[in-house]
Amino acid sequence: MSHEHSETQLDAYLDGELASVEAAELEAHLVRCPACARLREERLALRAAIRAAVPAQPAPDALRERVRLALRAHGTAGRGGGPRAARAWSWLAIAASLTLVALGSWGLALRGAAAGGLADEVFRSHVRSLMPGHLTDVRSSDQHTVKPWFDGALDYSPPVYDFAGRGYPLLGGRLDYIAERPVAALVYGRRQHLISLLVWPVTRAPAAPPTPRFRQGYHLLHWATPIYSYWVVSDLGLVELQDFSRLVQQADSAAAAGMSR
Amino acid sequence: MRSGETGGFEAAMLPHLNAAYTLARYLTRNDHDAEDVVQDAYLRAFTYRDSFRGDGAEAGRAWLLAIVRNTAYSWRRREGKSALVTEFDETRHSDAVAEEHPEAALLRDAARQSLSRALDQLPPEFREVIVLRELEGLSYREIGEVVGVPAGTVMSRLSRARERLQRALRAEDREG
Repeated sequence: MSHEHSETQLDAYLDGELASVEAAELEAHLVRCPACARLREERLALRAAIRAAVPAQPAPDALRERVRLALRAHGTAGRGGGPRAARAWSWLAIAASLTLVALGSWGLALRGAAAGGLADEVFRSHVRSLMPGHLTDVRSSDQHTVKPWFDGALDYSPPVYDFAGRGYPLLGGRLDYIAERPVAALVYGRRQHLISLLVWPVTRAPAAPPTPRFRQGYHLLHWATPIYSYWVVSDLGLVELQDFSRLVQQADSAAAAGMSR
Repeated sequence: MRSGETGGFEAAMLPHLNAAYTLARYLTRNDHDAEDVVQDAYLRAFTYRDSFRGDGAEAGRAWLLAIVRNTAYSWRRREGKSALVTEFDETRHSDAVAEEHPEAALLRDAARQSLSRALDQLPPEFREVIVLRELEGLSYREIGEVVGVPAGTVMSRLSRARERLQRALRAEDREG
């Protein structure tokens, strides 16, 4: 038995994963070979050292609560949004995730989810942000603070407007991960309500007017300009949310006009 | 689990929260991100709950950990794409690892630190098998299910990972 071979076998032996015949063979080898016997001692010491150096840390109670809340919110939301369609590809998705070592497996699976899945992602982003400490990464009502912060964190520069004068003050921004890419999420307030505005650049999409969706007490609006894809989500009433969306669109048009001048 | 009830899913999957959190912590190397990864993984697991074909708590654990792993790798890619994101999060490499632990007294601090540093520096495919084996106590077959490789590959990865860690310890011995 070569030493390199026995090293792997020794590990399997110490892990209790060696078949009995091989285990007996290895034990006989250990008696004859001081080098391998020393290696066994080292491995036993290493195992103790690993467990001491990296003690398992129980999950914080807050996380347990967070997961529970998110599951319940998600469970109710899923029922409203075409579970049958989701189920059709979920088996493929999970099969891919379990068998492909390729890191992109989730991407392949999720691309099939199309806009319905995107709406779910946007909805989840908003719900997640409502949990303590997740609303904003940069808290500022100053668009000249928020915009540069994104410039450092994203490969695009999202448009940032403040509508405080119209009753929708900018509260800050955060990074999120939607449609397989990091995206900018801007947070606006309206009385006691919060609005998440998610925006990312599109490569080739026809401009589309706002389309409303509804998820578990939250309204979602999606529209696209030739440059950006927009999602807005809030527990605000649809009328006010549409009003807010119009403000964003007007600001966008004004900015575009300003640039071409 | 096919009932679609959140309650049944919770009862089956929440007992694995510690295992999920531990794996996520060592893959993200950041307590904060680990929490986000775990939450996201649970939501994904819930979405795909009907695809779970296994039987028993251990199969459920391996299935969940596979999803945690995938989620953590998605997170890593995102981190890679915008490296600056991490600069805003200084909880990275928190002192949690160095917290006092009864067994830790047996080790000199330096050795312990060098080992945890060595573990941090392992390529993720090595680090994950060590965590799944030493901290989670999974069998080779279960690790193979989580990582998506045959048990034989698990065996050789574990051995190579341990060899690297052993070298780190030996180097520390020589210096100390």
